Amino acid sequence: MNILTLIKISWRNVWRNKLRSFVVIISVVFGLLGGIIIIAMSYGLNEERMNNAVETYLSHIQIHNKSFSEEYNIKYTIDNLEGIENAINNDIRVVSYSKRIILNGMLSNSNGSYGIQVKGVDPIEEVKVTNTYEKIIEGEYFKSEKDNTILVGKKLADRLNLKLKSKVVITFQDENYELTSLLYRVEGIFRSGNSRYDEANVFVKNNSITKNLPNFSGYHEIPILLTDIELRNQVKNDLVSKNSNNLIEGWDDISKDLAYANEMLAAVLYIFMMIILSALSFGIVNTMLMAILERRKEIGMLMSIGMSRFKIFLMISFETMFLSIVALPIGLILSYSIVEYYSVVGIDLSIVEAGLENFGVGTRLYFKVPNQEYFIVAIMVFVISIISSIFPSVRALKINPVEATKTI
Amino acid sequence: MIETKNLSKIYNPGKFEVKAVNNISALFKEGEFTSVVGPSGSGKTTFLNCVGGLDQPTSGEVIISGENITKLSGSKIINYRLNNIGFVFQAYNLIPVLSAKENIEMIMLLQGVDENNRISRTNELLNQVGLYEMRNRRPSQLSGGQQQRVAVARALASKPKFILADEPTANLDSKSTSNLLDIMSQLNEAENITFIFSTHDQRVIDRARRVVTLEDGKIVNDNKK
Ligand SMILES: Nc1ncnc2c1ncn2[C@@H]1O[C@H](COP(=O)(O)OP(=O)(O)OP(=O)(O)O)[C@@H](O)[C@H]1O
Ligand SMILES: [Mg+2]
Repeated sequence: MNILTLIKISWRNVWRNKLRSFVVIISVVFGLLGGIIIIAMSYGLNEERMNNAVETYLSHIQIHNKSFSEEYNIKYTIDNLEGIENAINNDIRVVSYSKRIILNGMLSNSNGSYGIQVKGVDPIEEVKVTNTYEKIIEGEYFKSEKDNTILVGKKLADRLNLKLKSKVVITFQDENYELTSLLYRVEGIFRSGNSRYDEANVFVKNNSITKNLPNFSGYHEIPILLTDIELRNQVKNDLVSKNSNNLIEGWDDISKDLAYANEMLAAVLYIFMMIILSALSFGIVNTMLMAILERRKEIGMLMSIGMSRFKIFLMISFETMFLSIVALPIGLILSYSIVEYYSVVGIDLSIVEAGLENFGVGTRLYFKVPNQEYFIVAIMVFVISIISSIFPSVRALKINPVEATKTI
Repeated sequence: MIETKNLSKIYNPGKFEVKAVNNISALFKEGEFTSVVGPSGSGKTTFLNCVGGLDQPTSGEVIISGENITKLSGSKIINYRLNNIGFVFQAYNLIPVLSAKENIEMIMLLQGVDENNRISRTNELLNQVGLYEMRNRRPSQLSGGQQQRVAVARALASKPKFILADEPTANLDSKSTSNLLDIMSQLNEAENITFIFSTHDQRVIDRARRVVTLEDGKIVNDNKK
């Protein structure tokens, strides 16, 4: 007997009890939908967090002096600056870059002090690599004629009760490890969407630093944006060959936790999906066991007239698998449509704004599901359906052919 | 030829033993049209199940054309039943999701009969049981009597050595009963097909050419007409 006949019988058997099969199929569809929406939200959040980080502070590539990464002394400026600038200016993959002086120190006023990182920037070049200027919520982005103005994050401003024009003192060690202080006035307050970043980073004009440190020249950090974030390893490798004393890092080298988050997330989501699907498979198994119980005599008859145990096993297996395999395309198409819609429109999460800001994302969440996830979910459904078909099929084989002759 | 030698089937050995079949030795020749009768619980079903290889006897042998089928292992006995024995049960004979035609064809699909032979034999059988017009109906769209006729056709489809029928008419009215028996006896006479069927029904007993009476698992009477 060919397998098509068995498949035909199984398929028709699925629809013998339409309501029951329908309920099982719908439950699998909703399980898939729920799971995929959770996947979409998780990836959406993660992606947003990553993009935020890249746009506000990581950029695609950063260059530092190797020693600077080990010890934040301001004397460790970038080596061979001219050579590097030449290289990146001539690289068509580079969209923009900027040069920063970095001071690690304390920011204090009468309300207290905070450990911060000062980014001394050229206001005009800097806007090409970060979006901080867009995130100013009070005051201005370096409009003042004066040199000694500072941009502080909202969180830090709240902590130290800083207002526009508030005076702050920045204290740091110079190249001789001597404490130096610079006075600034707050010109703008930014809110990047990542409160931890806002708490620990401030911006000043770089000439406000060089002016006060006559013996200092050079830069500590070059952030680079590329035409495509995926080019970072290529460009990085090209730069590395010219920069023995500098450390060239992609965003994922600098922020390992963000980079790992994606992989971690995938693993967690697969486990999550497995749990949903396993729960559904119990429903499927239960339905099939009921169906087999009802059809004891019929299965006994099939055995009596000579259908082999293997064929009976296959028949019940197909029947079980059909329940989830029918649900699969419905669930996937439905999920895909919903995900696509909310990947464009986004959903408003402003009720949990504070929590999201701590996590480093905005209040509108855009769904995202990498295409291969659909494929993996489909395979999972397939595997789970095969596994859940074993139990009912084995149960069916336990039926005795004499059932066919029993009157009750 | 079907022979049972000291065939016994004992349920619940030990405490509440039921000797459903008690040491039956009998012989059924080719072309016989035999009815197995007896009161309820006398062991008719159990006896037929052992003869048809559906049930393992506790002791004794069933020998069909010289082959001891009680010795056959699980998958061999299924295959043996497929190719040598036709079954008609009291109910649940047919696959509900297949049409009359497909039900008959299926047994030949299991046997691996090629398509041309399958189709011609199915049509021939449908005509023999008078259901050619209804060949595309599913069992639920057929009357009880029609279903049993499909079951007889299905049992014949595999060209078995003999057909076992356990109370094939129990659920039928008298008209359908006599109709089914007409078909069975006609097949028996015209094509020399061996039938062994159990029954309670006196009208069915009257049509049999041999009547084997069981009581408490033993043959108490064996009448050839
Ligand atoms: N699975 C079983 N376990 C225990 N006893 C059984 C079992 N099946 C049948 N019996 C007993 O075996 C005896 C014979 O039963 P069987 O069904 O063969 O009788 P029958 O002649 O076919 O009766 P009926 O005319 O009611 O169909 C009965 O006493 C019955 O109670
Ligand atoms: Mg009986």
